[in-house]
Amino acid sequence: MSTKHSKAAAEFLENKKQAAWHDETLWMVREKRDQLSKKVPEWEELRNMACATKLYSNSHLDELLVEFERNARANGAHVYWAKDADEYCNIVYNILNQHGVKHFIKSKSMLAEECELNPFLQNKGIEVVESDLGERILQLMHLKPSHIVLPAIHIKREQVGELFEKEMGTEKGNYDPTYLTHAARKNLRQRFIHAQAAMTGTNFAVASTGEVVVCTNEGNADMGTSQPKLQIAAFGIEKIVPDRESLGVFIRMLARSATGQPVTTYTSHYRKPREGGELHIIIVDNGRSNILANPKHIKALNCIRCGACMNTCPVYRRSGGYSYTYFIPGPIGINLGMLKAPLHYHDNVSACSLCYSCSLVCPVKVDLAEQIYLWRQDLDKLGKANCMKKVMSGGMKFMMNRPQVFNMALSWAPQVNKMPRFLIYNGLNGWGKGREMPNFADESFNEMWKKGKVK
Amino acid sequence: MSSREDILQNIRRATYMKYEKPDLKPLEDVALSYPDRLEQFFLVMKQVGGEAVLLAKREDVNDFISRNYPEAMRVASNLEFVTCATCNPDRVEDPSELDGTDLAVIAGKIGVAENGAVWIEQDVKQRAIYFIAEKLIILLDRNHIVNNMHEAYKLIDTGKYGFGTFISGPSKTADIEQALVMGAHGSRSVVVALI
Ligand code: SF4
Repeated sequence: MSTKHSKAAAEFLENKKQAAWHDETLWMVREKRDQLSKKVPEWEELRNMACATKLYSNSHLDELLVEFERNARANGAHVYWAKDADEYCNIVYNILNQHGVKHFIKSKSMLAEECELNPFLQNKGIEVVESDLGERILQLMHLKPSHIVLPAIHIKREQVGELFEKEMGTEKGNYDPTYLTHAARKNLRQRFIHAQAAMTGTNFAVASTGEVVVCTNEGNADMGTSQPKLQIAAFGIEKIVPDRESLGVFIRMLARSATGQPVTTYTSHYRKPREGGELHIIIVDNGRSNILANPKHIKALNCIRCGACMNTCPVYRRSGGYSYTYFIPGPIGINLGMLKAPLHYHDNVSACSLCYSCSLVCPVKVDLAEQIYLWRQDLDKLGKANCMKKVMSGGMKFMMNRPQVFNMALSWAPQVNKMPRFLIYNGLNGWGKGREMPNFADESFNEMWKKGKVK
Repeated sequence: MSSREDILQNIRRATYMKYEKPDLKPLEDVALSYPDRLEQFFLVMKQVGGEAVLLAKREDVNDFISRNYPEAMRVASNLEFVTCATCNPDRVEDPSELDGTDLAVIAGKIGVAENGAVWIEQDVKQRAIYFIAEKLIILLDRNHIVNNMHEAYKLIDTGKYGFGTFISGPSKTADIEQALVMGAHGSRSVVVALI
């Protein structure tokens, strides 16, 4: 059995050096996250509070969104509601069109990615410039992000050097990241200055103040919004937090989980339009309210898009973001894809070894692996489980209900050249096909966990 | 029906179970705190790629600048005691004029010991100055350093301009092969001068 994921993963693994680099680099990011989170003794309590706050806010969305709207309007912002991607794109277009905007600068927004805003605007003759360095590289290469926080993690410096040589006139053969970053700084500085409108995503929308909060390391969101006077921000309904006290909980975890920094360089609170300027805020549903009705999967709405579940995922690290068919890869992407359109995105469900590492690192306690396990059982109902997958489901259920057997099978794994039967049928096989390295570490995650090697 | 009503109705229909708002007090009570917040702030500023220095009084910033930024030609500040400033961002009509600023001197409100973030409540007409200057000096009262973000969020506000930002060290990126580079779009260097 080979899914779209396993085929794409095999391709990714053909470039062995690059694949090994990808794996090691993301693991390094994961380790940085471990170091930082270990320095916070109340880390687990933070996770509990973050999860509880999200469960509260996502079960009071009607009240909180209306509160946000009221406060944002009182601050002088324009507030719009978009049911779906189409409405969102049209709202953005109409704002830009009414202001005669032809040059538009954007900071990173997964929502814009989800709703395919850039192609929509470009088709209507508006030039969109991505200002996050990674996003800009990909935009110039006509590629999509392969990670939600580290969008260009699959691109090598030589590729960037060649691209910038063509696009920004950098020296031939100079692949130094500092040199290239500063060339982009200079190039984009002009774009910021000449843009007629700036758009940001939103990390958090605070109901009690009506402000949107944007976190970046580069300062690109702030460079954009401090030049042109027209600012647009959009957020999915689950980005709402009740107040600044709650916000503090998430801000303490976001960067520590994402990149192993104590906080992002900039945490900006946009409450009012600039003097003589305009602030337009779009609240977007696009399928999120349907997830609320799905109690088994409701915690997927907790996600603050930190990317930690990707960095830790053994499958993601070794197969790359492009091997998933949904635009968000990794454990959270598997789940969000299934919640969006299961018949369309079910291939990704196989991209999981059920090691549960994602569930353990997630700062807001999204039960990622548990949900993937549920999806696997549901594949049957969807008519998407072939005979092999049925064996897999049955096998997994057997194992998961018997932790000793599961652990034993894992501990045997390194010694045997052939994988234990249940793993052959869980989709790991397809993913691991292209690899020459042994499939199992000498110690399983569980063993390492017990010995305190993994925290 | 408007999209607004549609979305709100969908939400109401889909919400089965209401969860209580958690009490954050027990968490805040045990949150990271430091016997010497100043010392920790110095340490963490280094970690985030910036630097903290002590000044005896705020006027000393002029000396500090002439000693440490001899090459700075364009110095922007709206603080009246920064006498070496060559430009006042309050009097700039178009923020693009601030491009090419070598150094900006701005005022911070609250510093956070756990992460080196300093809260800037916009107090200047062109907020671009916080981001566009090549180098940044943030002046901060050394008694205004709190332990963690829980404490900070109880004290901050966005003021009359309706904007504020926590700045923790210089602008940075690792988007090219995870190699850390300072100076992506914002300031390449950040010094917090504690008074
Ligand atoms: S699911 Fe959790 S770990 Fe994954 S991106 Fe979202 S918040 Fe981060």
